Amino acid sequence: MRPTVTLSSMALGASLALTLAAHADEPFDVQSQVGPNPVLPHIQQYLFPQMHLSSVAGWKNGEKPAVAAGLKIEALATGLQHPRSLYTLPNGDVLVVESKAPPPQPITRPKDLVMRFIEKGVTSGGDTGPGNRITLLRYDEAGGKPPTRSVFLDHLHSPFGVVLVGNDLYVANTDAIVRYPYHDGDLTISGNGVTLTELPGGPIDHHWTKSLTASRDGTLLYVGVGSNSNITENGIEVEQNRAAIWEVDRASGRWRIFASGLRNPNGLTFEPESGALWTVVNERDKLGPNLVPDYLTSVKDGGFYGWPYSYFGQHLDPRVEPQRPDLVEKAIVPDYALSSHVAPLGLVFYTGDSLPQKYRGGAFVGEHGSWNRPTFNGYRVVFVPFSGGRPNGKAEDVVTGFLEADGKARGRPVGLAIDKTGALLIADDVGNTVWRVPSAGQ
Amino acid sequence: MSAANPRSSMRIFRQPIHPMLVPIPIACFVGVLLTDLTYWWSAEMMWADFSAWLVSVGVIFGYLAAIFGLIDFLGNRFIRAQAPAWPHAIGNVVLLMLATLNMFVHSRDAWTSVVPWGLTLSVLCVLIVLFTTWMGRSMVYGHRVGVAE
Repeated sequence: MRPTVTLSSMALGASLALTLAAHADEPFDVQSQVGPNPVLPHIQQYLFPQMHLSSVAGWKNGEKPAVAAGLKIEALATGLQHPRSLYTLPNGDVLVVESKAPPPQPITRPKDLVMRFIEKGVTSGGDTGPGNRITLLRYDEAGGKPPTRSVFLDHLHSPFGVVLVGNDLYVANTDAIVRYPYHDGDLTISGNGVTLTELPGGPIDHHWTKSLTASRDGTLLYVGVGSNSNITENGIEVEQNRAAIWEVDRASGRWRIFASGLRNPNGLTFEPESGALWTVVNERDKLGPNLVPDYLTSVKDGGFYGWPYSYFGQHLDPRVEPQRPDLVEKAIVPDYALSSHVAPLGLVFYTGDSLPQKYRGGAFVGEHGSWNRPTFNGYRVVFVPFSGGRPNGKAEDVVTGFLEADGKARGRPVGLAIDKTGALLIADDVGNTVWRVPSAGQ
Repeated sequence: MSAANPRSSMRIFRQPIHPMLVPIPIACFVGVLLTDLTYWWSAEMMWADFSAWLVSVGVIFGYLAAIFGLIDFLGNRFIRAQAPAWPHAIGNVVLLMLATLNMFVHSRDAWTSVVPWGLTLSVLCVLIVLFTTWMGRSMVYGHRVGVAE
């Protein structure tokens, strides 16, 4: 049928021209976006988002990530169910939070149908079993034996953050902070959970990971509540109390917004020298391969960090209407950019003493990796040196090799922790592994 | 009287398929202009969502209608010989290209899925629809294209 061929080839030609235009990227030095003053190029809006997803390859026998000089790496536990975050208990036991995303949000636009189709089988949703549980690992680093495992807590609701204060263990599910009784040496939690504070969950639950930490004196909890959209495309009303860090009174459960304008804050933790709260934040997508840089920042009480109206201070986002000049005016510039689309989800300050000297006091960041740029970025653990409680120097790669040469993902790093021996632990939610990184000499 | 009415090649029970399909894209492209305008005034995402559905459904049925229209157009030289046939065909090809572009613009997030380029394209599409439907009707009501004997 000649006529249809004519028409469809015209349409094909048109869409091809659009696609080509969308892929003509200028060379850009990603490193220029690492540090306190990132280069911010002009906004580019595409006709279809630049999607480059990494399909799952997994770790084949004997394969493992590469580490920086002076370190070595070993799999501490494999065959897990989508491990996303880690927590070291005072006795050295390690909690592995195995978490599944909540049910997908309702389809409201034709694009949602297309995206769901494209992302099927590619993302880290991971069909690795029921998940939504916490596994306890107990191991003796000297013995070299595999850790003993026990199911610590099960049937949770998309959990992510965990923190222990005294004998109270708090789990941040996607929709509530729940308290459980814990006693030193417990392999499993037998008591029932009590809800301390409900958190914004579904039916739309776009950024669902609720990161959790406690103040030094244990009276207050801090929980990260991510935005409910990329950039308000689900309506501003569903963003109420989101894109924020909440401060929760541990005794009463009463809460307030501690800081806002943080699109998707994770890895909440206190910097040991200054005592300030720090977080890593996933910034907005679909403004081009080099916008907007994700970042690492200290968080000021009452601070506003831009989302959705602006980024890195007063750079306006044209997709948000009505704008809020009153908020934009006071938007705080984050402390340290990590470059665009790296998706930082884990943050830990190095408080141990067994890794090489240069790591002491600095921050490890787990970068889950990009989908919204033609060349991958992230998919690694980086180290940001600190001095006097502030970043001091260029971020360097510590753990890499999560991608194969053809771009398939063997694994993807998420949450981090330091174990009792001072080794770095990495949750890998695609490789379904917990990696342990001690000094090479150990 | 003169020669027989120009016959449509693609028919079901003597009725041409092309005019069965065209009301859908016409209504969708007019609708998306209305919902775009409402979003422009209200900044209420629900209207931008309506626009995204309307333009997408309009484009899909627009291509379907175009396939049957082109077969009629190329399948019968008496149809091509009518004065409104060429402007109708070329106008609708331009319309489908702009509507496809508009569908992609409407797949963006929030305000810039509509303002300014989505809305601009929606206005252009409706202007072209006014012209091409006029040409299409004059082929039927003026030149008896596809009309049963």
